[in-house]
Amino acid sequence: MSKLIYLGCLSTRFYDSTCKNAIKIIQFLDREYQVIENPPCCGSLAYNMTSDEIMKTHVEFVNDWFKTNNITELVTICAGCYSYFTRYYKEFLGSEFTIKIQHFLQFLADPQNLHKLNLKYSGKSLKVNYHDACHLRNSSVPIIEEPRIILNSIENIELIESDYNKTKSICCGAGGGVYSIFKENSDYNAKTIFENMKKGKALLTACPFCYTALNRIREDNNIRKPVIKFEDFIAKLMEGVEPISG
Amino acid sequence: MGDKGKEFYEKIKSKIDTVQKEGTLENKFGMFWKFASNIKFRQHDLRYLYEDSSREFVEKYRDQLIAMKEEFVQNMDYYVEKCIKVMREANNMTVYLAKTNEEAQDIFMKEIGEAKVIYKSKSNEAKDIGIIDVLKNNNIEIKETDLGDVLVQLFDYKLPSFGIGPGAHFTREEIVAKIKEVHGVELEPKASAIVKYYRETYRKELLNDVKVSLTSANVISAEDGTIILGENEGNISLLTRATEKHIVVCGITKIVPTILDAVLVAKLQTRINNVSFSYISLIAGPSNTSDVQGERVLGMYGAKEVVVILVDDWRTNALKKDKIYKDFLKCVGCRTCNYACTASRAFGNIFASKYGLGADGIIRDYIHNGIEAAVKDGLFLCTGCENCRHWCPVSVNLGEIMKSIKKEATKVGLCPPPLMEYQQKILKDKNPFK
Repeated sequence: MSKLIYLGCLSTRFYDSTCKNAIKIIQFLDREYQVIENPPCCGSLAYNMTSDEIMKTHVEFVNDWFKTNNITELVTICAGCYSYFTRYYKEFLGSEFTIKIQHFLQFLADPQNLHKLNLKYSGKSLKVNYHDACHLRNSSVPIIEEPRIILNSIENIELIESDYNKTKSICCGAGGGVYSIFKENSDYNAKTIFENMKKGKALLTACPFCYTALNRIREDNNIRKPVIKFEDFIAKLMEGVEPISG
Repeated sequence: MGDKGKEFYEKIKSKIDTVQKEGTLENKFGMFWKFASNIKFRQHDLRYLYEDSSREFVEKYRDQLIAMKEEFVQNMDYYVEKCIKVMREANNMTVYLAKTNEEAQDIFMKEIGEAKVIYKSKSNEAKDIGIIDVLKNNNIEIKETDLGDVLVQLFDYKLPSFGIGPGAHFTREEIVAKIKEVHGVELEPKASAIVKYYRETYRKELLNDVKVSLTSANVISAEDGTIILGENEGNISLLTRATEKHIVVCGITKIVPTILDAVLVAKLQTRINNVSFSYISLIAGPSNTSDVQGERVLGMYGAKEVVVILVDDWRTNALKKDKIYKDFLKCVGCRTCNYACTASRAFGNIFASKYGLGADGIIRDYIHNGIEAAVKDGLFLCTGCENCRHWCPVSVNLGEIMKSIKKEATKVGLCPPPLMEYQQKILKDKNPFK
């Protein structure tokens, strides 16, 4: 086996149905992609509080795990994992790190995959907003245009850009482990993200950390517009189901 | 040491409670700052001042600015030496290169001589170099002249405030009440009435009584030793002209290679803050005349002496010892990183230090006072979103510097305990949520 679906610790622990949807979509596009149970954490959450020496040991462990399982490429649905693999693994491992890393959005935005998916919205028209996650726009290979390419390719779906988008987007407050210690950051900033949504009927995100913060703020403030993970949105379109229904 | 991590974590939690409690000074500033930073953030894309937006202006010059700052940083010794030589030889300035802040403070105290009052403009550099502290310790009266700072002094406000408009969080009503309390004068709660009061009372003093004045520099040209100072109020114009001795204190990183680079940086500082300098002074020496038989005499109507104290302190060391804050040497001091910072917007002046708001203020505190100071300032409130990098006109990555400081804090047991639990699980169990 050489192609891995790397779901990430957060989604695996808290978002089982999203993981299932992601696996379904990825395998529909390429049967060779497989999941391996209990992969090691990429280490991104530990990065800010770990010395480079210890972090390197962890990164080497993960790389060895990839090698043991003959992994040559992976697709991840976690923005944090993607950012960490692309930005820091090369720094720690140099040429020793040979895995081709793709985020789910990059994988989907591939013209062949988009063609094969042939996504359509069965309703009249649907306007959505997309939140640019820091992890995606800050990585060494930034993911900014891919979600736009995907959404703009879908018949009857219109992407409404927020005031603060792309490299100007506002952090949801869940980065750097801050969400686990100082949720008050997201109390303010995640709410601001909703306030800048304009006409969209739903807020899409491709980052499980952003989803966690945004959805809590949505619930706490009785905001009607749902937050939807990209994988769930695409899966529902594939099934011909209303993508923004609960 | 782990206990300290817990203690500091609890202290930050309690500061968050304070900032969220209605009526506290921190809460009032926080409310103002949410509003102000949002406006500043939005203004970047508006075309209400010029044909281009501030963002477009920055993008147009970004590569040029980065190349220019990198050229300076890589050849810092050369440009500092060049600048000092031309200032001394062509510009008749008295110039010092202080290796440390302490040395700069000693030079400053000698230069002010018997003066017991110092009039100063807004100067973040003076805080960084410790001039304010040394003046206070020596019982020298500091008279602020920027209205924002005058108000901060009037209120005796000790908390960090907004670098560009330090007193902007006080309401009109609060200001007139304070003026009545301190000066016994009743004013209408209107901005124009407050300005009129200071124009009528303070301007006269600034025109007649200033003997020694202190400013920083927005930027300095190494090519011709010209100091650029930008302002709206006219206070800097008065302080630099209607004085006997004008002392400039700033870090060596205010120097840029050429006069055109310097003008670009000054312009950038206005554009990125969406303000327009009413006055830009280019100061290349004390006032002088050669009108009597061609004999040059220093000290005509303007300053008799211009003294420049350039301070190295942490700067060369950061470069030569490859310090984690090396990237900070490129900073042009525009402060736009504050507006875009999500932690700053959420937490106001509890995510700050005595050197100013946000990561900029915290990194300075780390440089001068060490790791504990940075943690107490709210280091771990930073999400590492790197909005600062995206907004910075020279792409300084404060977020990455903050990450490195967090690592150092963890090494000495100052990391918040819940984060350590995640780290332990990742390293031992290879899963943070197991």
